Amino acid sequence: MSKTIHIKQAPEKFDAIIVGSGVTGGWAAKELCEQGLKTLMVERGRPVEHRKDYVGEGVKPWEMPFRGKIENQIVEEQYYIQKQNYAFNDATKHFFANDRDHPYSTPSDKPFSWIRGNQLGGKSLLWHRQSYRWSDLDFTANAKDGHGVDWPIRYKDVEPWYDYVEHHVGISGSVENIPVLPDSKFLPPFEFNAVEKHLKAKFEKKYSDRKLIMGRCAHLSKPAPHHIEQGRYQCMARNECQKGCTFGAYFSTQSSTLPAALKTNNLSIATNSIVHSVIYDPKTNRATGVRVIDSETLETREYFARVIFLCASTLGTTHLMLNSISEAFPSGIANSSGVLGHYLMDHLYGAGANGTVPGFEDEYYSGRRPTGIYVPRFRNVTRKDADFLRGYSFAGGAAREQWNQFASKDGFGVEFKNAIRNAGEWRFGLRGSGEMLPRYENQVSLHPTKKDKWGMPQLHIECSYSDNDIKMLHDIADTAAEMLESAGLKNVKRFIEEWPPGLSIHEMGTARMGKDPKTSVLNGYNQTHDVPNLFVTDGASMASCAWQNPSLTFMALTARACNYAVEQLKLGKI
Amino acid sequence: MSSVIPPGLSASDLQLERRAVIKQIAVLCGLALSTSSLSLMADSFSSPRDFSRRKERLFNAEQLALVRELGELIIPATDTPGAIGAEVHHFIDHQAACCLSAQEQESLIKGLQRINSTAEKLYGKAFLSCTQAQQVALLTQMEQAQGEFTAQDRAYFKQFKGLVLLGYYTSEIGASKELAYLAIPGGYKGSVKFSTVGKAWAFNF
Repeated sequence: MSKTIHIKQAPEKFDAIIVGSGVTGGWAAKELCEQGLKTLMVERGRPVEHRKDYVGEGVKPWEMPFRGKIENQIVEEQYYIQKQNYAFNDATKHFFANDRDHPYSTPSDKPFSWIRGNQLGGKSLLWHRQSYRWSDLDFTANAKDGHGVDWPIRYKDVEPWYDYVEHHVGISGSVENIPVLPDSKFLPPFEFNAVEKHLKAKFEKKYSDRKLIMGRCAHLSKPAPHHIEQGRYQCMARNECQKGCTFGAYFSTQSSTLPAALKTNNLSIATNSIVHSVIYDPKTNRATGVRVIDSETLETREYFARVIFLCASTLGTTHLMLNSISEAFPSGIANSSGVLGHYLMDHLYGAGANGTVPGFEDEYYSGRRPTGIYVPRFRNVTRKDADFLRGYSFAGGAAREQWNQFASKDGFGVEFKNAIRNAGEWRFGLRGSGEMLPRYENQVSLHPTKKDKWGMPQLHIECSYSDNDIKMLHDIADTAAEMLESAGLKNVKRFIEEWPPGLSIHEMGTARMGKDPKTSVLNGYNQTHDVPNLFVTDGASMASCAWQNPSLTFMALTARACNYAVEQLKLGKI
Repeated sequence: MSSVIPPGLSASDLQLERRAVIKQIAVLCGLALSTSSLSLMADSFSSPRDFSRRKERLFNAEQLALVRELGELIIPATDTPGAIGAEVHHFIDHQAACCLSAQEQESLIKGLQRINSTAEKLYGKAFLSCTQAQQVALLTQMEQAQGEFTAQDRAYFKQFKGLVLLGYYTSEIGASKELAYLAIPGGYKGSVKFSTVGKAWAFNF
C-alpha cells in the first residue's frame, strides 16, 4: 500500500519527531526541546489552544438546550463508542474522536471500547487525573508468576523520574508510607468529608491490611511558585475538568508541558497530520522519518529526524508500527520478536458495591472535589490470599443523594420537592481497579481488507477477559459488599457490570518492554531492540498493567527515555 | 491544510480570546478568593459558540398542555417557582424530540396516553379536566402500579419524572433558586454544616 502513496518532501530535517501530543507526547516535547533538540510534534487531530478552544467551559447547565445531553442522531451516527465514556457530554464531545471517521474492527463476540481524543493535547484534556506510583510489587509481578515477560526495570530505576515529573505536574495527595503505593512529592491532599472520615476509621480498625486514603490527583490544590510561572493556578473544585480548564489547575499538555516546550523555541507542531508509517533505512538500520497523510487534504508528505518517539497512545502507536512495513520488517517495524500487537491489557473496572450510610444529616460539603477516596491493593501482597493472581485497588467516595437519584424514588409534589431540597441520604461506594493478566491472545492486528477514509488499514482488536480476570471481578464485588456491610451501610448493592475491555481507557501493552529481544519490542529505556533511534514511551510499552492508574508512570518513563535518547545522541550511538 | 506552528511562537501568543479572564485570575492569585470575585469570573466565560441546535418538537398542543400540568404536579410552585415557572414542558418537548431514541419517544407518548385513557375510564373525563385530588390519586396509582396500572405504566411514569427532574433542576430556577449552585466554588471543603448551606447543592460532583 505504501508504495502507491505519493510522498511530498518536506525540506527541514529535525533532531526529533514525536508522534502524538497527549500525556506522553507532551512530556517528550518538553524534555527533548529543553535538551536543545529541534523537535517536531506530529498530531493527527486539529489544534486546540489552551483556554480559547475550551468552548464548553463555564457554560451554565441551563445555557445548554439539552442540559448536557447530545442529539440522539449525532450520538448514534458519530459517537456510538465514545458515548460509553462517563465524561462524554454536550460540553466535552468535541474532545472525543468521531467514531464514524475512526472505525476499527473486533470479532462480534468480543467488543472492545476504544476511547480516543484526537486533537492537540490528546486525552490529556480528558483524563481522570488520578496519579499513583507503581512499586516493585508491580515491576516484579511477571517474573514472580510467569505471566508476561519480566520487566527490565525496577522501582529504583523509575523513582527519580517520578520525583522529576511530579515536581512539574503537581500531584495532590497525602504521605502514607504504604509499601505497595510509594508516596509522591505531594501538594496538599483534598479533604475527606465526614462520612469518608467515619468509614476510614471503621475500615482501618477492622482490616489491618487496608487503608482508606485521599485519591492522589494531578491537581494544583496549592500551586507552587513554579506552577504559577507555568501559568497555572489553584484548583477551583468545579470538577468539570474535561471541558478544559482556564485555570490550568489540572495537568494537561496545554496547561503544562506544551508551554514549557514552546518556551525553548525548539518546537514545531504539525496538526491534522496522520502518521501512516515510520520510514526505515535498512542500510543504516535507522528510522529516518515518518510518512504523513493530511487529514483534511489527503495529501501525503514526509518528515525526517535523527530520533523518533512514538507517543500516539497504546493502540495508535502499535497501529502505525504494524503499518510500517519493509523488507526487513515485513510484519511491522521493530517486530523481529513477533510480539508487536500482542499482550494487550486494560484494567478491570466493572465491579464494586455501594450502599447508604445512616445519619450525618447535618453534615455536608462545599465544592465539587475532583478526586475520590482510594484503597490501595491488599490482595496477594505479603502472601497469596485469593484464588486468582495479582490484585486490585478500590476507588470511591461518599456524597449525599441529589435530585437525579430521586428520579427512581417514589413520590411527587410539595413533599417530594422539599425532600430534594433537603438533600438525600449519604451514599458511599467502592469500585475496583483490577490488574488484567498479559496474554498473547489479547492482540491487535491490521485488518486484511477494511480501511478508514484515509486509506489506513483498520485496526482489528481481539481482547477478552481470562478466568483469572473474571475471578478477580467477583472478588472485587464480594469484598466491596462485605466491607460496606461490616461498616454498617444499608441497602448494600453488589454489582458486576457489562464493561467491555478498553472502556477503562487504561489500555496498555502491544509493544512491550523486556530483557530479551526475542520476546519483547522495547528495552528498559523504551528503545526498540531492533531500531536504535526508535522509541515508544506510551502505554504500548507496558509489560504488565498493575492496578494503579498508569499515566504518571507513562510520564516518568517518557522523561527517562528522553534523557537516555539525548545521551545516546551525544555519544553518537544513535 | 496542516498548521505548523513555527518555532518562536510562545504559549502566550496562543491565548487570544480569554485575556480578560486570565487577567482576572492573575489578579486573584494575590488575593483571597471571595464570593463576588468568583461569580465575576464565572460570568466572564463567554457564551457557548457551538450550541446551534435542531428545533424539532415532539408534542402536539394537547400533549404539551398535559406535560405542562404533569410537570407542575411533580414539582409544584412553593416558595420558588415549579416546573411551569421553569418552562420544563418546553424543555422536554425539545429535548425529547432531539435526544431520545424513537423507542423512548414512543414510551413517553404512550405514558401520556395511558394517563388520559385511564382518567377517562376512572373519572369519565380527560386528565386535565379532573380535580387535582383525582389527578394526584391517578398518578400515585400509576407510580405504584396499582388499580388500572401495570409495571409498564410505572416505568412510563418514572421515565417522565426523570425528564421533569432533569428539566427543572438544571434550569436556572431549579439549580440556583430552589437548590444551591456555585459555578466556581473556589475550592473544596470536606465538612460544612448542612444548615449553613440551607439546601442541597444542584451538583455534587
